[in-house]
Amino acid sequence: MKGTEQIPERYHSSRGKIQAGQVVSSGTSGSHTPRAAYIHVPFCAHKCGYCDFASLAGSDHLADRYLVALEREMAMRLSEPRPVDTIFIGGGTPTRLDASQLARLLSAVAHWFPLDAGGEWTVEANPGTLDESKVEVLHRGGVNRVSLGAQSFHRPSLKVLERNHDPEDVPKAVDWVRSAFDRWSLDLIFGVPGSTLEHWSNDLEQALALGPDHLSCYGLTFEKGTLLWKQQADGAVHAIDEDVEYAQFAYALDRLASAGLRQYEISNHARPGQECRHNLVYWSNAPYFGVGLGAARFVDRVRAINTRDLMAYLKRVEAGDDPTGPSEQLETDEFARETLMLMLRRTQLGVNRQEFQERTGVSLESVAGESLGRHIQRGNLEDDGQKVWLTRQGIFVADMVLADML
Amino acid sequence: MAIDPKFIRNFSIIAHIDHGKSTLADQLLLQSGAISQREFREQLLDDMDLERERGITIKARAVAINYLLDGQTYELNLIDTPGHVDFHYEVSRSLAACEGAILLVDSTQGVQAQTVANAYAAIGADLTIVPALNKIDMQASRPEEVKDEIEQTLGLDRHEVLAVSGKTGQGVPELFKAIIDRIPAPAGKVDAPLRALIFDSKFDDYQGVVVYCRVVDGTLRTGQKIRLMAGDTEHEVTGLGRFRPHAVACDELSVGQVGYVIANIKLLSEVRIGDTITTAIRPATDALPGYQEPRQVVYCGLFPATHNQFDDLRTALQKLSLNDASFTFEPETSDALGFGFRCGFLGMLHMEIVQQRLERESNLALVQTAPNVTYEILTRQGEVLHVSNPTRIPEPGDIEEFREPIAKVQFIIPADAIGQLMQLCTDRRGIYLKTEYITPTRVILAYELPLAEMIYDLYDKLKSTTRGYGTMDYDLIGYRAADLVRLDVLVAGDKVDALSVVVHRDQAYRRGLRLVKKLKAEIDKHQFEIAIQAAIGSKIVARETISAMRKNVTAKCYGGDITRKRKLLEKQKEGKKRMKQVGNVEISQDAFLSVLDSSEE
Ligand SMILES: Nc1nc2c(ncn2[C@@H]2O[C@H](COP(=O)(O)OP(=O)(O)OP(=O)(O)O)[C@@H](O)[C@H]2O)c(=O)[nH]1
Ligand code: SF4
Ligand SMILES: [Mg+2]
Repeated sequence: MKGTEQIPERYHSSRGKIQAGQVVSSGTSGSHTPRAAYIHVPFCAHKCGYCDFASLAGSDHLADRYLVALEREMAMRLSEPRPVDTIFIGGGTPTRLDASQLARLLSAVAHWFPLDAGGEWTVEANPGTLDESKVEVLHRGGVNRVSLGAQSFHRPSLKVLERNHDPEDVPKAVDWVRSAFDRWSLDLIFGVPGSTLEHWSNDLEQALALGPDHLSCYGLTFEKGTLLWKQQADGAVHAIDEDVEYAQFAYALDRLASAGLRQYEISNHARPGQECRHNLVYWSNAPYFGVGLGAARFVDRVRAINTRDLMAYLKRVEAGDDPTGPSEQLETDEFARETLMLMLRRTQLGVNRQEFQERTGVSLESVAGESLGRHIQRGNLEDDGQKVWLTRQGIFVADMVLADML
Repeated sequence: MAIDPKFIRNFSIIAHIDHGKSTLADQLLLQSGAISQREFREQLLDDMDLERERGITIKARAVAINYLLDGQTYELNLIDTPGHVDFHYEVSRSLAACEGAILLVDSTQGVQAQTVANAYAAIGADLTIVPALNKIDMQASRPEEVKDEIEQTLGLDRHEVLAVSGKTGQGVPELFKAIIDRIPAPAGKVDAPLRALIFDSKFDDYQGVVVYCRVVDGTLRTGQKIRLMAGDTEHEVTGLGRFRPHAVACDELSVGQVGYVIANIKLLSEVRIGDTITTAIRPATDALPGYQEPRQVVYCGLFPATHNQFDDLRTALQKLSLNDASFTFEPETSDALGFGFRCGFLGMLHMEIVQQRLERESNLALVQTAPNVTYEILTRQGEVLHVSNPTRIPEPGDIEEFREPIAKVQFIIPADAIGQLMQLCTDRRGIYLKTEYITPTRVILAYELPLAEMIYDLYDKLKSTTRGYGTMDYDLIGYRAADLVRLDVLVAGDKVDALSVVVHRDQAYRRGLRLVKKLKAEIDKHQFEIAIQAAIGSKIVARETISAMRKNVTAKCYGGDITRKRKLLEKQKEGKKRMKQVGNVEISQDAFLSVLDSSEE
């Protein structure tokens, strides 16, 4: 993309070390080449009730075969190693692999995606699948950040979510992680059927007591095709009252802010400088590689997703065929709308006009038009001339604001 | 070379809905050789998309066929008519172009309400009726009983009733013979000045207005200068032809013949259905009687869903009105919906079809308000108003007497459903008139009912109480005073004019409650609380509150979610296009329609 010269200094810093107190927009390096890589590992100990990720329980016997296929896919897609700034190994549960499988995966990833100095390499882990030796393997393999799926400390909530770990597993896992990594994060879920504001505040306190620098708090979503969805349709489970969910969300924003964890994306909070740089790539609509079952990639303005069918994935890769499922070449206006949708999720960076123009080639005004003014007037957006961002009020109804703007 | 009128027969096929008119027409085309077996397809004349989708005839269609009987070729002009009560006007227009009518009665169903209504229409138009039982190929056929019914209800001689199957073609040669033997030839004068009755028309983008007519006197020729008598405009005939069943051009149409005329008519307003065509050079002195204007019974507002499409809607209405002369429209302004039209229809199905045709044929998205009837109001000042738009109803204090239209309704039902049906009519403020047994198991039940109590959904209720065996027909008989009120709806304090309805006072509370409940379910949450109220004058009779939207935000949006989320948002955006802004509140088309749906009553 042209005009890189005009981009303010801080947008170039995506390769450098992050300075404290500043959230940095990633991937605006002016080139089309992705600087981020996502690798998917689908195996799980058990399928959680709310989960609609490409994840499977009871398929561990295919793990070795999967790792071979994954290496093959990387070789096929990349042809040569691609240096990146961020790597994210997600799932599924990557740490469901045993220590030696994990080591093999890390070395393959390190080969195909050499991490530039100062880069970020995250692996997702679940309490109950982690032990000291796996932590050691991760550390030695080059990983420098771990994201732990705690979800809740409240036993009944874990049960409703059909998670198969106990509240006590979380501090144990955190202890191991903390001993080897400076950067780690916890995932929590609010809006769990049957939960109250008190349960949730209790969850937050227990999480904060462990001293995280990064927390993701997700409102539970009933996704079609999940067990939870069916339970709700059958009337066995009822979504919690909208007011309670609102109160839980609002409470999290205040409590975490007071603990020094600032909201930087709708569901993400971090101490300044501790934001997940890989995820910021998505929210700036920059390109990224993606390999593995159901993995999405965004290269040359084509959004493509690999098949979510494990056997189909294995067979296709083994036969030297492309395992891509649906893909879509984005037109300028679609790309611009996506960019708006994503950038607006960044509660601090917001949509910077210049960055938006650089990224999409069109102006923010030409996409959002008069709806900008309408939502500023209604108090959902704020505008300082350079950027537009969601107000606290707007954060809670972001989808409505976006549906109106797109 | 004109055909001698004595070898011409003009007739309509009339019947209750679904008794097999269009299927019989197929057989007549097939057995006369107008179409080959290869060209044959079911209900060939129902060529409109909506007709084929719904399996019913909406527009009457005229076709000219030749039939050879005893060495003589006859020209038969047949008109296939619709059976649904809403399209009765199509039937009466068709009848005016004919000397006879085949009255078809499904021999498994027997005489039904529109059998009676259409038969009387034909008798009233002085037509020769050829009665025929249809579907005699079916197991459930009960010919003798149905002949009893025909004799009893219509006073026709059972020995004159033929028996056919439109499906198998059985009895069709006998039917052809009866048509030729019994129906009189056209009686017009060949040498008299031209008089041709315009019974239909349509608009063609290339040819302009295409006029369908039946020549009564004289001859119509290409190149001729014609005059439309009512509009007093002159045109030159550039094309003539007949449908056989496809358009086939010809040079002239003479006495008794039915066909189409193209005469470079560009203005939709110049052609009036029922008008007489004559020649400019030797004009006829008297026009043909023409038609009684159809009477619209339901009205609703139609508004473009996206604004600044008002002119497109007007053009679409004008265009459609040329093909369907039986609906009316006049500009209307609504605070809530902007500029649109108040339209009058012959019934609910007619309303639905017109709306669909407008949307499809002119590619418009429309918002429709709840249907209502025309009320008569005597004001305190002694004025009598006819109001077909609830927003125009004066304030309660200005009304001396509020009158509503009354219909005389004839039900034909199985005898064992009498009790239930009488209850239904009583609940709807009906006045019992009489019961008449056609046979020991089938009765005609007559009631006077407020039109507003029957027009919207009584037909559905009738069908469900009689397990599909009941039918009904009605005539308007006048206005009668009733304790009626205008019920208004306020959304966030603003009166939504488009949602006002007229109801009986006894039902106002219940209706108001149902209305606000429905609206509550249909209006999306906004960022603020919305009060929905129903009121009579300044008195609030029901209230609901839509709480403010608290939370509406996607929790997760990472690499794999992006396309799906964008499409979801785009879909929501699409839905918003059909929304209308009332004050600060957006109301969907469904919300407007929910006001009329009484399914929960
Ligand atoms: N078995 C049998 N079925 C028939 C016969 N005639 C018509 N049908 C069926 O009856 C149904 C209605 O036939 P149509 O010809 O569409 O009836 P219609 O009177 O033209 O209906 P409208 O124009 O809507 O009033 C169709 O499913 C036909 O196939 C018949 O002689 N025998
Ligand atoms: S651990 Fe995560 S990926 Fe696996 S089933 Fe549970 S929610 Fe899904
Ligand atoms: Mg028909």
